[in-house]
Amino acid sequence: MWYYLRLIGSFLRASIQEETASRVNFMLNILNTILSLTTGVLGIVILFHLVTTIQGWTFPQTLALLGIYQLITALQNLVIQPSMNSLGGIGGDAWTGRFDYTLQAPVSTQFLVSFQKWRLWGLVDVVLSCVILGIALTLLGGQLGLLQVAMFVLALCISLLIVYAIFLLLTSASLWQHGVPLVWIFTSFMQLGRYPVGIYPGMLKLVLTWIVPVAFITTVPVEILTKQVSPIMLVGGAGIALGLLVFASAFFRMSLRHYTGASS
Amino acid sequence: MNLRGGWELIKKSYLGWMASRGFFWTLTFGWMVPSLLYLFVWVAVAGQGQIQGSTRDDFIVYYLCLIMLNQFTYPVCNWTVGDSIRMGRLSDWLLRPLPVMFEAIASDIAMKMVCTPFAVTVTVVLAFFLRPAVHFSPQSVLFFLLAFLLAQVLRFLMAYTLALLALWNSRADALLDLNDSLVFLLAGQVAPIALLPGALRALAAVLPYRYMLGFPIELLIGRLSTTEIWQGFAWQCAWVIGVLFLYRFVWKHGLRHYTSVGG
Repeated sequence: MWYYLRLIGSFLRASIQEETASRVNFMLNILNTILSLTTGVLGIVILFHLVTTIQGWTFPQTLALLGIYQLITALQNLVIQPSMNSLGGIGGDAWTGRFDYTLQAPVSTQFLVSFQKWRLWGLVDVVLSCVILGIALTLLGGQLGLLQVAMFVLALCISLLIVYAIFLLLTSASLWQHGVPLVWIFTSFMQLGRYPVGIYPGMLKLVLTWIVPVAFITTVPVEILTKQVSPIMLVGGAGIALGLLVFASAFFRMSLRHYTGASS
Repeated sequence: MNLRGGWELIKKSYLGWMASRGFFWTLTFGWMVPSLLYLFVWVAVAGQGQIQGSTRDDFIVYYLCLIMLNQFTYPVCNWTVGDSIRMGRLSDWLLRPLPVMFEAIASDIAMKMVCTPFAVTVTVVLAFFLRPAVHFSPQSVLFFLLAFLLAQVLRFLMAYTLALLALWNSRADALLDLNDSLVFLLAGQVAPIALLPGALRALAAVLPYRYMLGFPIELLIGRLSTTEIWQGFAWQCAWVIGVLFLYRFVWKHGLRHYTSVGG
């Protein structure tokens, strides 16, 4: 365990060295986040200047949902996305054959694949999305109990576990079939989580709940903060997360056996 | 005009890209999602009652047109031209007996040929499930076609000119992101222009973005008055001419800054 933590430490150091090399990226990253937050917030403002609720969701509640969506994407872009992308992305290790070296390393391959690359500028995104969430909660008023906060943190962890499992699943799939960036399809679907899943028509709602569980990823955490949620949703979410995780790890190991190298 | 050379460029890019169509269809899906998201949002809102006279069907027709039009006008050169300048591929293009812009136009057309079957399929399936009542008058279709052509030229030229800024600074991509955000807000993607709050609506009327996407669809749906139609066309033509001059300026001065990378 200690050994793995020390490894994460050196991955972090390597990523910091890599990123501080070009400081322009830092500014560009902030600009991007601000643009994405502004368009998101303006979208909601435009909507709510015409109506007062959408499917029972008020303005502050929808704003809180946007904050959570941005928070989860920011956390995902901190380590899950960059690590998996450097394996399964366009021109990634599976593509060039550098993955062979990862396989030879004397540590768990899944660990390496999951934590090898960090994008620490993403911490700014985390802070900015917390600001949005904070504004939304202030607009909502009301007191947050300790239990509510604890449930919220738990729900956030469950969401990240689900996101991680899906990334692992899709990255494993890219070992079988190069060229189709499956992860992009997932992140596109994730965008639908900016608004309450309840607004989508029947079929899509089912897909977003059970196949691409966006409902569990973004809607449940915000419902804990803004509405009453029975703990059963949390138990259900944890069940889905664990199930997905076990399945994804198994599929990852199967894909490793299938992988035959890409170098000539 | 070397049209045969242009056609060969289109064929080259098309064949190259059909080889990885799965990749491009994924890309197409990604472009569609924001429009799709707001289609569902507005349909859900209109399900609670009319919004300033717009019904559920109006929103469905508007956004299905938007998905198709966005697909047709989306400028691929946004990202490819800047990369080619940075990687030094521009040197090859400069040596060809063809204007450099041909390469960008050719890849644009080829990309659209690759992505269109996918976009059409998705739109038709959506139309089949949502079943909106559609009625277009012949006159509005005519206006639409004209505005669509101008929108295509305007959006392409704007993106191409911005991408050429990479001749000065290799980090010009940030401007492209800003441009995309403005298209999202002010071209009619987040909401039809008529539904924007006062200040944003006034801004949208004078900036080029509405004339890249929203204006042709507004013509097709036929809600605009005669004055609004001519005003719109006047703004659209003015922007095409303005961006054309901007392009000439950027290209002429930028090329002197270009120093090739790679050997």
